[in-house]
Amino acid sequence: MTMYQKEGILKDGSRVILRPMVKEDRDKLLDFFRHVDDRDLMFLRNDVRDPATIDAWVENLNYRRVFPLIAEVDGRIVGNATLHMRKVGWKRHLGNVRIVIAKQYQGKGLGTLMVNEIIDLAAEFGLEKLVAEIHLLANAALATFKKAGFSAKAVFEDLVKDPSGQKGDLVVMVCDVLARER
Amino acid sequence: MRLALISDIHSNIQALEQVLARLDRERVDLILNLGDLVGYNANPNECIELIQTRPILSVAGNHDLALLNAELAQHFNIIAYQAIMWARSEVRPEFLEFFLDLPLTREGRDYLACHGTPTSADSYINYHFQGKKVLKMLDKGLRLRVCFFGHTHRRALWYKDIRGKVATQPLTPGKIFLEPKWHYLINPGSVGQPRDGNPDAAYAIFDDEEFSIQYKSVPYDVAAAQENILRAGLPEFLAERLGQGV
Repeated sequence: MTMYQKEGILKDGSRVILRPMVKEDRDKLLDFFRHVDDRDLMFLRNDVRDPATIDAWVENLNYRRVFPLIAEVDGRIVGNATLHMRKVGWKRHLGNVRIVIAKQYQGKGLGTLMVNEIIDLAAEFGLEKLVAEIHLLANAALATFKKAGFSAKAVFEDLVKDPSGQKGDLVVMVCDVLARER
Repeated sequence: MRLALISDIHSNIQALEQVLARLDRERVDLILNLGDLVGYNANPNECIELIQTRPILSVAGNHDLALLNAELAQHFNIIAYQAIMWARSEVRPEFLEFFLDLPLTREGRDYLACHGTPTSADSYINYHFQGKKVLKMLDKGLRLRVCFFGHTHRRALWYKDIRGKVATQPLTPGKIFLEPKWHYLINPGSVGQPRDGNPDAAYAIFDDEEFSIQYKSVPYDVAAAQENILRAGLPEFLAERLGQGV
């Protein structure tokens, strides 16, 4: 039996495999991030096109600290969502979500599928709320998170900067993990 | 009548054995299993076999239903999915009949037993609006005073007082005497995968004559259950969480 994977169906009927990232994904991940638009990566905290970053990720996998969920089609990664957790402190019941979807899979329901999976995993890990930080102009991402049960709780004007130095507004969205009706 | 409430055994034979051994010493008239006998842990066959040796009344949980129908497991998260698919490959075919016969609810004298809610094995009672909805159904629709439920793996005692106020009651040690005219939702916690910070196997004793509930737990060999999970190749997190009760 193949460990730890599940099949999902997109709006167009095509199928994707959802599974946690494993060490062997190094090259596939690098290839994925190299083909993603710059704008879709600007919220990440690391340079994911640097092989050293990906090496550090795959060498230090700890699913209780960061659960990295991969979407794969025909052996290629087409989506990456991460659930970030803390074991101690006043935010130990919270998780943070980040998601990157390949250009050709945007608008097909993959984002919603992956965010829904992350919410279900958060419940499994005992988290109570999930937090996502999204650029105010990232309409598709805002819609995806809203559809999955997140709601906007705050907007911080001119808080973030894109690679060119252009300031932007940041929306903080929150989802009550256990309040979601199935 | 004294009812023992057990729930969410989830293939944890070490925990189930300890709870049943403890119940042998309690003076109970009936044992109610609130569902999810399988999933997550590594000894489904042993648990099914043991449950069938006792006069235990069971209802179906969402994992029990997914054991019969893999399509239902599509709604599970990856970890739960992995575990139930493993169980589907492990459970002996002759045991499947036990699950085919399970009802979604059971009604007794002034009580209803279910897994998630009276209308769904896969819905939760965690938040006020969820508790309020089920208490309303219990009071106005079903005309019953008590609903036993599981699914959250956390002990809980919800009430609706005579003025209609809905809230949770703190779970104090020892017997909790219930108000005769109030309505209650009672969750005994989980036998096989407790998630309220106490790794001991949880259960409860309900007495319908003195109208009381007592929440109890019993230590079991967590290390042996963890070892079985890892040996079966199930996700490591499932073993880790048993030690922490999360």
